[in-house]
Amino acid sequence: MSVPDYMQCADDHQTLLVVVQPVGIVPEDQFFRIYKRIASVSQISIRDSQRVLFIRYRHHYPPENNDWGDFQTHRKVVGLIAVTECVSAKEWPQTSDRFHDHKEVYGSTLYDSRLLVYGLQGEVAEQARTDVAFYPSYDECEDVERRVEDFIESLFIVLESKRLDRATDKSGDKIPLLCIPFEKKDFVGLDTDSRHYKKRCQGRMRKHVGDLCLQAGMLQDALVHYHMAVELLRSVNDFLWLGAALEGLCSASVIYHYPGGTAGKSAARKPSISVPADAGKRHRPGAQELLIDPGALTTNGISADTSSEIGRAKNCLSPEDIIEKYKEAISYSLYKNAGVIELEACVKAVRVLAIQKRAMEASEFLQNAVYINLGQLSEEEKIQRYSILSELYHLIGFQRKSAFFKRVAAMQCVAPTIPEPGWRACYKLLLETLPGYSLSLDPQHFSQGTHKGWAAVQMRLLHELVYASRRMGNPGLSVRHLSFLLQTMLDFLSDQEKKEVTQSLENYTSKCPGSMEVITLSDGLKLLPVAFTKLPIVRSVKLLNLPVTLRPRKVKSLLGQSMAVKSPFIYSPITVHHRGDERSKKIDFQWVQGDVCEVQLMVYNPMPFELRVENMGLLTSGVEFESLPAALSLPAESGLYPVTLVGVPRTAGSITVNGYHTSVFGVTSDCLLESLPGVKTSGCTVEVVPALPRLQLNTSLPRSAHMLLPASGEEVSTSVSVQLFNGETRQLMIRLENIGAEPLETLELTSKTVHTKEKLFGEFLSWSLEDTLSQFPLKPGQVATLTVNIKVKLDFSGQENLLQDLNDDGISVTGLPISSPLRQVLKPRVESKAGNPPESSKGGEYNPVKTLEAILNFKYSGGPGHTEGYYRDLSLGLHVDVEPSVFFTHVSTLPATSTRQCHLLLDVFNSTEHELAVSAKNNEDLVLHAGECQRMAIQVNKFDFEDLPEPQDDRGQFTSLKQLEEERQQARGYEINSKLDICWEIPSLKRQGEASVEGVLNQLVLEHLQLAPLQWDVLVNGQPCDCDIVAECEVGDLVPLEVKLTNRSKHAVGPFALTVIPFQDYQNGVHNYELQDVVTFVGSNTFYIDSVNPTENCVCDGTLLFLYTGDFYLNIKFHDDSSSRELPLDWFCLPSVHIKALEPALQTML
Amino acid sequence: MAVCIAVIAKENYPLYIRSIPTENELKFHYTVHTSLDVVEEKISAVGKALVDQRELYLGLLYPTEDYKVYGYVTNSKVKFVIVVDSSNTALRDNEIRSMFRKLHNSYTDVMCNPFYNPGDPIQSKAFDNMVSAMMVQVC
Repeated sequence: MSVPDYMQCADDHQTLLVVVQPVGIVPEDQFFRIYKRIASVSQISIRDSQRVLFIRYRHHYPPENNDWGDFQTHRKVVGLIAVTECVSAKEWPQTSDRFHDHKEVYGSTLYDSRLLVYGLQGEVAEQARTDVAFYPSYDECEDVERRVEDFIESLFIVLESKRLDRATDKSGDKIPLLCIPFEKKDFVGLDTDSRHYKKRCQGRMRKHVGDLCLQAGMLQDALVHYHMAVELLRSVNDFLWLGAALEGLCSASVIYHYPGGTAGKSAARKPSISVPADAGKRHRPGAQELLIDPGALTTNGISADTSSEIGRAKNCLSPEDIIEKYKEAISYSLYKNAGVIELEACVKAVRVLAIQKRAMEASEFLQNAVYINLGQLSEEEKIQRYSILSELYHLIGFQRKSAFFKRVAAMQCVAPTIPEPGWRACYKLLLETLPGYSLSLDPQHFSQGTHKGWAAVQMRLLHELVYASRRMGNPGLSVRHLSFLLQTMLDFLSDQEKKEVTQSLENYTSKCPGSMEVITLSDGLKLLPVAFTKLPIVRSVKLLNLPVTLRPRKVKSLLGQSMAVKSPFIYSPITVHHRGDERSKKIDFQWVQGDVCEVQLMVYNPMPFELRVENMGLLTSGVEFESLPAALSLPAESGLYPVTLVGVPRTAGSITVNGYHTSVFGVTSDCLLESLPGVKTSGCTVEVVPALPRLQLNTSLPRSAHMLLPASGEEVSTSVSVQLFNGETRQLMIRLENIGAEPLETLELTSKTVHTKEKLFGEFLSWSLEDTLSQFPLKPGQVATLTVNIKVKLDFSGQENLLQDLNDDGISVTGLPISSPLRQVLKPRVESKAGNPPESSKGGEYNPVKTLEAILNFKYSGGPGHTEGYYRDLSLGLHVDVEPSVFFTHVSTLPATSTRQCHLLLDVFNSTEHELAVSAKNNEDLVLHAGECQRMAIQVNKFDFEDLPEPQDDRGQFTSLKQLEEERQQARGYEINSKLDICWEIPSLKRQGEASVEGVLNQLVLEHLQLAPLQWDVLVNGQPCDCDIVAECEVGDLVPLEVKLTNRSKHAVGPFALTVIPFQDYQNGVHNYELQDVVTFVGSNTFYIDSVNPTENCVCDGTLLFLYTGDFYLNIKFHDDSSSRELPLDWFCLPSVHIKALEPALQTML
Repeated sequence: MAVCIAVIAKENYPLYIRSIPTENELKFHYTVHTSLDVVEEKISAVGKALVDQRELYLGLLYPTEDYKVYGYVTNSKVKFVIVVDSSNTALRDNEIRSMFRKLHNSYTDVMCNPFYNPGDPIQSKAFDNMVSAMMVQVC
C-alpha cells in the first residue's frame, strides 16, 4: 500500500467503498455524468431499521490498497459498478467478458457488482439480469439512481450477514487471524495454539467486527467492539492493530460528535457529490461548531437502540480523548510499511482538530505528517502531497504555512526532473499563494502609505509569477506581473535588480506592450492595470499661467466684482481662511481656448540609470483638450526635474487635470493624481475662457537685449532699443499682426515712462491711432501698422562729470569761467580723443549716455472672448539710449538796444564726435566741430511771462512752494525754447534735432528775459520810439513827447518824477549835454506821474522844440529822490530816444 | 549560536532580519515568515486566557529538521524570532530567554532614538553589533 488518499477523513470509516469504472471505450464526459448521478446516492436509509448506510464512490482505486481491506474495512472495495457502451449486439459478449475481467481485479473483496450498458437495444437488452442494466442512450436512464439504491441494498444484505456471522462467531472454535499483506510472512510457523496467538486473533477480529458495525450504521456496537479490541490487542502488544483499533474508536467517536462530517467544505471529495435530498438529516447547520455533550444527546437519530444508550457516554470518547487516542494510534510509524496509514491518520486527526479549532496541536500532527517517509514518490504524488499539506494548513488558519507548501507544490509542477513541466498548473498554484503572502495584485493596495508585507518573499513570488506566466506563453501576463513588481517593490529592489527587472520588462514589452486594460484570467481572476506612478515619481503638479502677453484679462465692469463679497465686514480672518481653502481647488487664473496651456510637473527618477519616458501627456476632464505628449529622458537618480506638459483646450469651460499618462519601458500607464501619495498641487481645476485673438508686434527698430528694470512692475514680452541724440525725433513703425484665429476687434494703446531721475522735457512718445483703427477688425493673418514718434529732450548741461571731464585734461583751464570763449582751447584734446574713440568712450568710468525707458501697452480683444468681456495685454518695452548732442554750457544775457529785446548768449558745446551745425530761428548756421564749444548770440524779444497760464494745479496746496516755482520755471523754459527754435544737424549722419535751452535757464537769465512789469512807452510825434528807431522832426516845429506808463505789476506804483535831458553823441565817447541853446522845452522838462494802480496806465505830455538841425538823444531820468527805491532797478529802464532834427521843408523855405 | 535573528513589525513585515549563511538568506525568510502563523496562533490563544500577566516569551514555535525556531512578542506586538541550529543541543530554554531579553533591550534602545521612525527597517549599528555578537557567541 503506497498510495495515500489525502482526502480521507474520519467519517470515511463508516462508508462502503464502491468503485465505478468505465469498461471499454466510454466518452469521458458521459462517464462522469453517469458517475455523478451514481455518486449522488451516497446515503441510504435501510428500510426496516433506522440505520443509515454511507457509500464512498471512487472511479479509480489501486488494487493493492484493496489488500488492506481486512485491516480497515472501509478500504475494501465491496461494490463495483461498471459503465460501458455497447452499440451492437455483436459486441455484447465481448463487453460482458471485459466486465468479468474487471470484477476479477477486486474479486476477493467484492460483495456485488453491476454493469450499466448504454446504447444497446434489441433482444439482448431484453434479457432480465439483475447485475446488468441496459439503457438505449446516456440521456435515457431515468432509473439509474433507483438501480444504484437497489445495488446498495444488496450490498447491505451481504454486509449485515457478514457482520452477524463474525459477531456471533465468538464461541466458535477457531478464529482466523486477519493480517495485512506484509505481515503474512511473519506469522509463518507460529504456534497457532498459544494463548497469545488466540488473543491476537480475537483482538483483530473484534476490531474487524467493529469496522463492520460502523459501516452497517451501528455506531454504539462499533464503539463497544473497538473498546474490547483495544483491550485485547494492548495485552498482546500488537501495536499495528492496536493503532487501527484506536483509530476506529476515534473515528466512531468523531462520527458521533460531529455528524456533519469533518471533511469540511474546502476538502470536498474529488468528484463533488451533489448533496442528497435527505441530507438535511445529516447536515445540521452549525453542527460542526458544536461540541455536543454526548450524555445530553438522546434524540439523535443515529441509533434508536435504547439498550446501547446506557453505554454511550462511557464508550464514546470525549473530544479531548479523541486527540489523545489519535496520538497513541499514530504509532504506526513503528512499521515502515504502514506509512500511508499513518499519514492518512494524521490527516484525519488534523481535520478533526480543525473543527475543534485547536490549531497548535493540529500543526504538530501536520509537522509529523511532513516527516513521514513514503519512499519514492512520483512527482505527481509529491505535488498532491504538498497541495494537501497546504490545504490542511489553510484549514487550521496557518495561512503562511499553507502558502509555503502551495508554493513548493507549484515549484514541484515544474521541477527539472519532469519532462513536461506544467507551467499552467504552477502559475495557478502560485496565484493561490498570494493571500498567504498578504500580496494583492491590485496596485491600489500599495498606493497608500508605506509598503506592508514581507517584501523579500513577496518579491520572490512575483518573480516566479513572471517566469511562470512567460513560460506559459502569455507575455501580456508577465508584463503585467513585472510591472506590478517594479511598481510596488521599487523600494526594496537593489540597483542591480532594478536594472535586471527593467531590462527583462523591456524585452517582454517588445513582444507585447503593456496596456492599461484589465487582464482577466480563465478562472475569472482579474489583473488590474498597473500604473507606474513611481517611474518617474511626481512630486508636484502645477498648472502654469499663460505667458503675460497671452493672459486674458477681465474688463472690469462698473459695478465690479467686489459686490460679490458676501460678508458685511471689509476684513475678516474667517472669510480669508475660507477663501484660502477654495483656492486650493480653483486657480485664480484662466486659460484660453485654442492657446497652448502648460502644466509643470516636478519629477524625479528613482532609478540608477537614465529613464526614458515617452508619450507623457495630460489626462483631463471637463472641456475638450488636445494633449500634446512629450518624451523626456531623466538622468539617473536625478533631483527634482521640471517637466512641462502642454495641451490645447478646444472648448471653453472648466477643465480639471486629473493626472498624466506615460509610457515607460513599453508599458503605458495612466496615473491619477488622487491616487498618488505626497503630490503637492496648487489646484487642478482652471477656467478656460473663450478664444481671443493674438497680436504680434514687429517694429522697425532692432530688438533690445536690455530687459527693463524689474521695478517697472510689468512684465514686458519684447523690447526694442534705439540710440538717439538728444533732441532728435524718431519714428517707430509698429507692425501689428493678428497671428491668432480670431478677428482682432478692439485696440487701445497707452504708454508709461519708466520712472527715471532724468528730467524729461517735452512729450516723449506720441502717436495717432485713428489710421490703425480704421483697418479694424483685423482678420487672422492681417497686418496693420502704427507709427509712434519718439522725441527725446534731456538736460545734459548740468552734468558735473562732463564738466569735470572737460577740466581734467592737460591744458589748464582752471580759474577760467566755463562760459569763457577760451573754451575753444579744448579742441585739440577732443581730436586726440577721436583717435581711440571706443576705448575712451567705453573704458572711461563715465558714460554720458542717458537711458530712457518706456512701455507701450496694447490692450486688444476680439472674437468670442471679447463678447465675454476678456481682453489681452501686450507690452512693448522701449529702450532709448540718449547721447548728448549739443548742449549749452552757459547762458547769459546782454541787454539789447531796445528795452523790449535782449541778447541771449549761449555757449554751445558739441559733445558728439561729428561735425554739427546749429541754427537758431533767424541766425546763421553755426558750425561746430566735434568737441567744440562756441558762443552764439540770439536776439530775442523779451517775454511776458505773466501771459502764461498758471499751471493748473489741483494739488497746489499740497505741493511745496519750491515745486510750484519749479513748475513755473519749466513752463517759462518751454515758452522760451519754442520761441528760440534752435536746431542742430549732423550732416555726416543726416540726423537732426532740436536743442533745448530749458535746462540751462536759471533764475537770473529768466529775469533778464522777462519784460519789466512797468512798461514805458515814449512817443515822439505820436510815433513810438525805441532803440533803433530814429524819429525825425523839423527844426522849429514843436515836437510832442509823450511818456506812457503801463503798470502790469500787482501793486500800485508811483508817484515818479522824470526829467528829460537831451544830449548829443559825438560818436567818440563824448556826450554833449550843453544844449540849452539848441533845444528848448515848451513847458517843463520834468514829468510827474501819480501813482498808477495795477493794469492802469498814465500818460504825461511834454513838447520839445529843436532850434538847429542835428542828431539828438533824449535821456529820460528819474529823480534820485524818488520814493520808489524798493522796486528793482531794471523796472525803470526807459528807452533812449533818438531824434533827428531836419531842415524844414524847402517848399516852406522857398 | 543563533543562525538567524529577525525583528518583525506589528503588521507582520520584517524590520530586521539577519542570518549567518548569507547565501541562503531567502530560506530563512521563508522559515521566519511561516513561523508567524504559530506566533499569531499563540498570541490569540494567550489573549483569551490572561491578558495582564502575559509571558512575552513564546517558546519553541516549531522544530524543523535542521533548525529550531523560537519566538518572543513584545506588548506592542513586535515579534522577535530566533532560529537556532537543531544540532546545538546544549542550548537551554533559559539561554534563549536571555537572548530574547537582550534583543528586546537593544530594540528598546533603537526605539528611543528620536531619529528612528517606528516601522522603518532597523539600521542601527549598535543593534547590528549586538545581533552579531549573539550569532557568533558559542555557548
